[in-house]
Amino acid sequence: MESLAEWLRSLYTDYGINLVQFYDEFERARLLRGMWITIKLSVVSIAASIVIGIIGAWLQTSNYRVLRSVTQGYIQFFRNTPPLVQMYFFYFALSPLLPRVATDYGTQQPLLSSFAWAAISLSFFAGAFNVEIFRSGIEAVPRTMTEAASALGYTQMQVYRYVVFPLALRIVIPALTNNVVNLLKTTTLAYAIAVPETLFMASQIWSDRVNVLEMMITLFVFYIGLVGLLVWAMDRWEKSLRIPGYGQ
Amino acid sequence: MTYKSALKILLVAAATLGWLTGLARADTIEDIKKKGTLVVGVKADYPPYGMRDPSGEIVGMEVDMAKDVAQRLGVKLQLEPVVASNRMQFLQQGKTDLMIATMSVNDERKKAVGIVEPYYYAGGVALLAAKSAKIKTGADLKGKPVCAIQGAFYNNEISSKMTGQDLIAFKGVPENEQALQNGQCVGFAYDDVLLIYTKKANADKWKDFEVVQLDIAPLPWGIAVKSEDKDTPWGKFMSDIVTDWHKKGTLVALEKKWLGENTQWLIDANAKAK
Amino acid sequence: MTAKPLAVLPVMARPPARSAAGDWGLWDAPKRIFTPRVLYGLLLAFGLCVLAGEAYAQFGGQPRLGVLATMQKWLPLILFGPPGEIGGFTLNILVSFLTMAIGTVTGVVLGVMQVSQGLIVRRIAWAVTQFFRNSPWLVLLFFAILLLPYRIQLPGGFVVPFPDWIKAVVGLALPIMGNISEVTRGAINSIPTGQWESSESLAFSRAQTFRLIILPQCLKRMLPPWMNWYAILTMATTLISIVGVSDSMTLTQQALAAEGGRGELLIPMYLLLLLLFFIYCYPIARWTQVLERRFAIIT
Repeated sequence: MESLAEWLRSLYTDYGINLVQFYDEFERARLLRGMWITIKLSVVSIAASIVIGIIGAWLQTSNYRVLRSVTQGYIQFFRNTPPLVQMYFFYFALSPLLPRVATDYGTQQPLLSSFAWAAISLSFFAGAFNVEIFRSGIEAVPRTMTEAASALGYTQMQVYRYVVFPLALRIVIPALTNNVVNLLKTTTLAYAIAVPETLFMASQIWSDRVNVLEMMITLFVFYIGLVGLLVWAMDRWEKSLRIPGYGQ
Repeated sequence: MTYKSALKILLVAAATLGWLTGLARADTIEDIKKKGTLVVGVKADYPPYGMRDPSGEIVGMEVDMAKDVAQRLGVKLQLEPVVASNRMQFLQQGKTDLMIATMSVNDERKKAVGIVEPYYYAGGVALLAAKSAKIKTGADLKGKPVCAIQGAFYNNEISSKMTGQDLIAFKGVPENEQALQNGQCVGFAYDDVLLIYTKKANADKWKDFEVVQLDIAPLPWGIAVKSEDKDTPWGKFMSDIVTDWHKKGTLVALEKKWLGENTQWLIDANAKAK
Repeated sequence: MTAKPLAVLPVMARPPARSAAGDWGLWDAPKRIFTPRVLYGLLLAFGLCVLAGEAYAQFGGQPRLGVLATMQKWLPLILFGPPGEIGGFTLNILVSFLTMAIGTVTGVVLGVMQVSQGLIVRRIAWAVTQFFRNSPWLVLLFFAILLLPYRIQLPGGFVVPFPDWIKAVVGLALPIMGNISEVTRGAINSIPTGQWESSESLAFSRAQTFRLIILPQCLKRMLPPWMNWYAILTMATTLISIVGVSDSMTLTQQALAAEGGRGELLIPMYLLLLLLFFIYCYPIARWTQVLERRFAIIT
């Protein structure tokens, strides 16, 4: 490892290629911390947005007009406003409304950290798209399936859980993959509310060390690598869910 | 055309181009005089050095300094608002001829642009801290969240030596002030002069906060030109102007005008120059 | 479906009559572009917040300029930017137009390259498309802002200035190019092979086939996803505030700072900004859905 660090350092002194984020321990630790936060934020937001998507799609089939309207309002609001402004709105405008917690050094701090607000904002944003996606999946399930299940004595809830939802899930995986990848890329917006994720750390490093191009390349490699990993994982999941003879 | 002759032509062309561009860069001061305009990069969100007045014009202490340089050159002044993340790039690309933008001097920056000596100012770092947190020195900050501006030179030192954790860094002052008011951090680390100015100007809003000096060596601020220009007539011209400012007390007078008081560093520099 | 299509065309001549049972499923297709229900709901919530803020401003503290009056004071700046330059919401819209124009042209070219017959061209186009599709928009924006020159010197002494917002246009046009390229490729691939075969038998060259037969048919198929990307792009233009351009987001923040960071102004001002974008993007989204139904393919 030492020789690798030395070689990278020599790249800087001899050729001007400044890869300080790899050979300097402090910067490397910072960057890795940032990458870990990005991964955490993505996982939390993806999971929460899928849950919101499922709940929202179910609410849209409800018999109560109020529930349907509220869900529809939520979807249209989050789909047609900029995610950056949503994040600022949550972090700066809504955060002061919540009660504060006393810290152990004498001040009052907000209940939720910037990471939490970023996760909430991203989940709601992606959740709105997921509701549409799941709804289209549910609609694509042939009505004959639901009728047959009803005829076999399943209740509404059971039909949804055992028949409609599994089929809908298999139908929507491509669109869902698209949305999940978008969510991963959108986590970079958390930079604006000072969540210490990858882009944030990278910008600190390139401000301190003036190596913008090298950091950019590192960022591209990281994010595209992560996207590739995610797409591969979704693909594997899709293959494992395949029902022979259905929609091949 | 054979491969060898093509290569020869290419080499000659490259050499000519290189020589021509070398020629073109030889005399920035003549270029400015020919252009008739001096483009200076200044801050527009950093009172009282560079800020917007109600009519939208950029005014401030550094703007006055830029006006003086343009007057000495006999050209018009064009102000270009910059921020910390692009002030050096604009200079390197040639978008600005000169940069007076509250830039503190460090080794990496010296390599990137040509910093004019003597330095014209020095700023220490202070913390606008919540009174209830009872912060007296930097050591009291261990494990506490501190807000700062993205890319500031002192961020590294504060996070590694004082708080021991990452700073909460936003891109602009309004977000930092908002986060401080909301309680998201225990203090806002920023230029000491600016914090004193902010606290005085909005005493009511900041009545639960106090300004605490942090033990970070004040870094001198430098005016910058393109790194190739440092030893050319343009760089020397700027160096002479700054020396003249210190000698004549222009900077002390400007500071008094815009800040209402004088900082120790400037007084010392003025005395030394006389 | 109860109505038989008039003829088997790749694009429907007119929408089929809808049966009473509602063939569209659980949620009816929009009959018009503007359905006011959601808009009214948002305006109601907005109005409530403004009222609450007004009450606080008048009764809870020294008399200051009320919330509505403050918003009125700053609205021109947020909409149009500082005097003498284009900024604010107008800049957002201008950036979205330019970006979409550049991104579409380059995207269509890239998409056509993706179905080219040359293996190398196909591979390169595929790589470029995937790269720009899968990179975060903010990283590409920073890339453009920090690494593009501030002006280009063309041979002959002609100088093209490159202000910040133009660099932002280029930065945002890159992911749009990647996505439009994918849309184009999908549209081209959805043209029945019969079209290719007939044009080949009629001795059209490949370029003529593209220009006269394939691409005109693709345009109709590309329109709904294209409009979808336009809406996404318009919302993404707020990213330029992070790199320092004076768009509506930056100006809203500066307005809030100039007002001293008053607590009761936060929600109304940010809601105002959200409302501005909503008023612009919601009709586009509805129109996209109308077009989607109208141009649905019979397969």
